[in-house]
Amino acid sequence: MQTSLKQRPKSKGQRILTRIWQDRVLYLLLAPAMLYFVFFRLWPIWNMRLAFFNYKARSAWTWAGMKWFEIIFSSNGFFTILGNTMRISFMKYVLMFPFSVAFAILLNELRSSRMRRLVQVSTYLPHFLSWVVIAGIFINILSPTGGILNDFRALFGLPAVDYMTQKETIMGVLFASSLWRSLGWDSIIYFAAIIGINQSLYEAAYMDGATRLQVIRYVVLPALITPMVTTFILNLGFFLDAGFDQVFNFTNDAVNSTIDILDTYIYRLGLTQGQYEVSTAVGLLKGVVGVVLVLITHGVSKKLTGTGVW
Amino acid sequence: MNVGRKRFSFGQMLLNVFFLAIVLTVAVPVINLAARSFASAKGALQMHGFSLWPSDPTLLNYQVVFSNRLILPSLWNNIIITVLGTAVNLLITLMAAYAVTRPRLVGKKFFMGFFIVMMLFNPGLMPEYLVVKQLKLIDSMWSVILVGAVNVYYLFILRRFIEEVPESLIEAARIDGASHLRILFSIVIPLAKTGIATIAMFYAVARWNEYFKAGLYLLSPDKTTLQVLIRKFVVQGDITDLIGFSNMMNKTELANVNYNSLKSAAIVVGVAPILLIYPFALKFYATDVMEGGVKE
Repeated sequence: MQTSLKQRPKSKGQRILTRIWQDRVLYLLLAPAMLYFVFFRLWPIWNMRLAFFNYKARSAWTWAGMKWFEIIFSSNGFFTILGNTMRISFMKYVLMFPFSVAFAILLNELRSSRMRRLVQVSTYLPHFLSWVVIAGIFINILSPTGGILNDFRALFGLPAVDYMTQKETIMGVLFASSLWRSLGWDSIIYFAAIIGINQSLYEAAYMDGATRLQVIRYVVLPALITPMVTTFILNLGFFLDAGFDQVFNFTNDAVNSTIDILDTYIYRLGLTQGQYEVSTAVGLLKGVVGVVLVLITHGVSKKLTGTGVW
Repeated sequence: MNVGRKRFSFGQMLLNVFFLAIVLTVAVPVINLAARSFASAKGALQMHGFSLWPSDPTLLNYQVVFSNRLILPSLWNNIIITVLGTAVNLLITLMAAYAVTRPRLVGKKFFMGFFIVMMLFNPGLMPEYLVVKQLKLIDSMWSVILVGAVNVYYLFILRRFIEEVPESLIEAARIDGASHLRILFSIVIPLAKTGIATIAMFYAVARWNEYFKAGLYLLSPDKTTLQVLIRKFVVQGDITDLIGFSNMMNKTELANVNYNSLKSAAIVVGVAPILLIYPFALKFYATDVMEGGVKE
């Protein structure tokens, strides 16, 4: 090392430039990705200044100050929508979470490996379907005429219910469809952790006369703590994303006020009502708060479990 | 793991019943939908939510779907966007992932940090929409392809796979005078093929299922994609386009079509490719978990 430095007496800057030149191909390989980010991330970020301007289609935008933010915060709609977003996020990230843990534990208890495989193959599938298709499937399941749920109600002489258009039932529909889509897939991380448990731990527990329940309590659950904490904390970082695709495909005029979330609000403001500026301003608020949330949860998760978002 | 397990237990029976119920909640609605897609107008009225076989089976719904002036081109567009889009995704992601895993790369920290910022901060809908407009990409399939050209999460997944490729191998090739491109194609790609296949699946599924950006940017009827049409028919209940086939069918055939069956047929066409790649997807995504479950 020392000798080679003496042979080529160059300054640090020169050496770095030489290395960059030697590896110029690497920068070419990076160029398409960087161009993508410049065009479809940085340019949109530059466009976000629209939150402080008045939009003009073909001429220069004029300064608007905080006008759009004042409009947002003085409307009741915004806080209702924020509330809806939090409620749906809570349902998805907090209420649903024990289900996938329980699913993994029970699946591991299943002795028949054929049954286990059948369960895995069928419950992972919905994760690959688009929300458009899942909405189609649920419209079919829940249909007041010929849907399976109302067929069951008819067996007991109960009247048909149109679950998709009732404010009282739509949250249940969102919950059920999330569960239907993600129960199996979300449990993979826990199931993998259970499989990773050292066999000798089980054997030791049985030697000591532990029951199956005790084994679950003292051998299986401890192995799930880390993935549980990680998933839970990281999910909190996405609390403002209650899942646009799901709500967008399950919503209708009858229930929209109960399940309208930030992202659907941003869409409606911008693209159906043409209020580009307010839409951008809501997006800016959501983006900034979202980054702060993810950074906090990433930091906490890294501290507690050693695993972060990246 | 046989310790402490009895030959027959009531608990196991309960578990099997429980999981069978879960399997049925996924399988029955999917099979029911498929069955409905084969039902005639008469048969459709006799079908229940738990019917697993079409009443009065017919292929008419599929004939209508495949002869519709809108659906066939939209299916084609969906395929093109998926194939081209996934190719663009893979190429860009792979090149970038290879570059940022080179230990010697000057500015490695900068690039990684930049990617993380890009991953975290989403500028949102309107600012992106304006860019697509400013680039005059509205109504071109390149809008959809380019807007989703890189997914930073997948880039990071691929990076992890490439990091597994022994550095000594690459270093040896460097010393032998191999160029980066050559190393990428003859060492990294073959050795990281599991990772590449994994993200290829992720990208392809996302591309195939894309309906929102396609609906947003592809406005004219001949540019639209199947997922957008399915959303229009099934979710929004707009069937005017779907029945625009009347000139191709005579009145009696028209009377034989049930719109719910027709919608089901459109959904089945939209899901079929996913079902085709699903076995491979499982193989790549969840091998460890599934094998581990079986081996145990």
